[in-house]
Amino acid sequence: MEFLKDFWRILREDKPALVGGAVILVYVLVAIFGHFFAHVSDLPSGGQAYLGPSLHHPLGTDFLGNDTLSEIIIGTRPVMIVGVVSAVIVIFVGVVVGLFSGYVGGFLDGLIMRITDIFLTIPGLPLIIVIASIIHTTNPFVLAIILSVTAWAGLARAVRAQALSLRTSDFIDAAKVQNLPLSNLIGRQLLPNVGPYVAISFLLAVTGAIYAQVGLFVLGVAPVSGTNWGIMINLAMNQGALYTSRSMLYLFAPMAAIVLLQVALVYFSRALDKLFNPRLRVQ
Amino acid sequence: MSPDQIRQQVEAIYGVMPSGPLWKQYLTYVGNVFRGDFGDSMLNPGQGVLSIIASALPWTVILVGVSLIISFVIGLVIGTILAAYPDTTFSKVMTGVVSFLSAVPNYLIAIVLIYLLADLNHFFPITGAYSNNTVPGLNPPFIGSVLYHAALPMAAYVIVSFGAWSLAMKGSVTTVLGADYVRAAEARGLGGRRVTQTYIGRNAMLPMITNLAVSVGYMFGGSVFIETYFSYPGLGFRLISAVNSRDYSLMMGCFILITVAVVVSNFVVDLIYPVVDPRILKPASRKARLTTPPPQAELPGAEAMNA
Repeated sequence: MEFLKDFWRILREDKPALVGGAVILVYVLVAIFGHFFAHVSDLPSGGQAYLGPSLHHPLGTDFLGNDTLSEIIIGTRPVMIVGVVSAVIVIFVGVVVGLFSGYVGGFLDGLIMRITDIFLTIPGLPLIIVIASIIHTTNPFVLAIILSVTAWAGLARAVRAQALSLRTSDFIDAAKVQNLPLSNLIGRQLLPNVGPYVAISFLLAVTGAIYAQVGLFVLGVAPVSGTNWGIMINLAMNQGALYTSRSMLYLFAPMAAIVLLQVALVYFSRALDKLFNPRLRVQ
Repeated sequence: MSPDQIRQQVEAIYGVMPSGPLWKQYLTYVGNVFRGDFGDSMLNPGQGVLSIIASALPWTVILVGVSLIISFVIGLVIGTILAAYPDTTFSKVMTGVVSFLSAVPNYLIAIVLIYLLADLNHFFPITGAYSNNTVPGLNPPFIGSVLYHAALPMAAYVIVSFGAWSLAMKGSVTTVLGADYVRAAEARGLGGRRVTQTYIGRNAMLPMITNLAVSVGYMFGGSVFIETYFSYPGLGFRLISAVNSRDYSLMMGCFILITVAVVVSNFVVDLIYPVVDPRILKPASRKARLTTPPPQAELPGAEAMNA
């Protein structure tokens, strides 16, 4: 309870973070309930293409005559699912590997860290592009796994370093003296101490995953079927949006949707930073 | 042709026997790679993967190399100002701009630039590295044309990455400003210039130099999105076109080269860092390096500095 009170107080003081949190909430709601309000058809409706903004179509229409706003709403769910699932995978793998490696130490630790180094060094984006082109999938979960291929390594290193410094602390010694099992040591003693770091990393992993997956769709590496923001931009570019200024809204609406969400996530993560680092609050 | 002849031709073109067992294909491929033979492009048999990459490399180095240096310098200046004068209007506005830009994916910036500057107004060309009516070589029209064509992609790259550099520099300078040895130097009455250059400047530059060296490694990957959108014939563009046309041998060649470049540059950084920062070699400093800094939303890794 005390924690939530603190959190609310910091949010109230930090306007950008509050707005960011609200925006994220709206996106989540749209992702969950959006399908009840918006419908998109794959069939062209004659004479409706590239209409300007109006009461009926607040953001105009696309090259098929679909309502752009509806497409944005429908496209929110797949993007959010992939972003969140990918971040969950990254966090899970990174934390488990990092805590285990830091706690075990010795030869095994060295081995795990060398493997982590390999993943850290591989350029992530080109690798993701290559894998995504070979595994041609629309399944959001498979896509999320592909996006997490190298992203866990950085977190694993950071968590390991923290685990190393915590290992020598008194409360761990106390737990050892009581003969508590390893699961308790890692889960109940170490995890709460790396929690803040993990929470912030989670938000950043979401932004990273959204960024990369939209990029895949924009480049056309991931299969272009269904509706999401990346596909919208891809279609807009390939259907000649660059040759008519009337398509401006159709091209820029999904971009605005992405940027708004990313900015909101970044600002919200800063509030978390303040919450967990009392030293930052003074400034 | 008899089946045997066909087999021989396939082997000659692809360097591997597609019907053989996988491990054998793999070993053959890796063995060839170590000899510098990446096979031929699958779409254009007769064109070596290595020659395609070699023709793409200079463009990537020109585009990304120059942009990298520009954003690095801009970042140093802005970062120093942000750290030294945090309460000025300029710093407040700049912090907002930089945080906003750090949340905008680079491909969007590229699209916006193309749309606004090349499409609606036709100020700049949007495809290729030089115009067809110039002769490649060291002549003024060709060099002018190269610069003219590189202007927009470079601008996109700099807009995307200068923010990351600024924030890195700001963090670095802020850390050094709070250090005890700076206070001690000021207390000993050392002159302002001596303190700023020797004590603050050099120490703040250390992590920046490392970042720059790592970024140079990532440079060879080109800038996938920006090159693709501007149809700039660098490595990133080649990689994407190979991916989209399923030209596997070219794809693997590009990817191997990109990875090797990154690995080598990381290795070089590890080698030169003790020279730049002697504290690394002393075991007393080891302990200090084990504590991780808190994650910072605005401090992306070296890869993020490469749009």
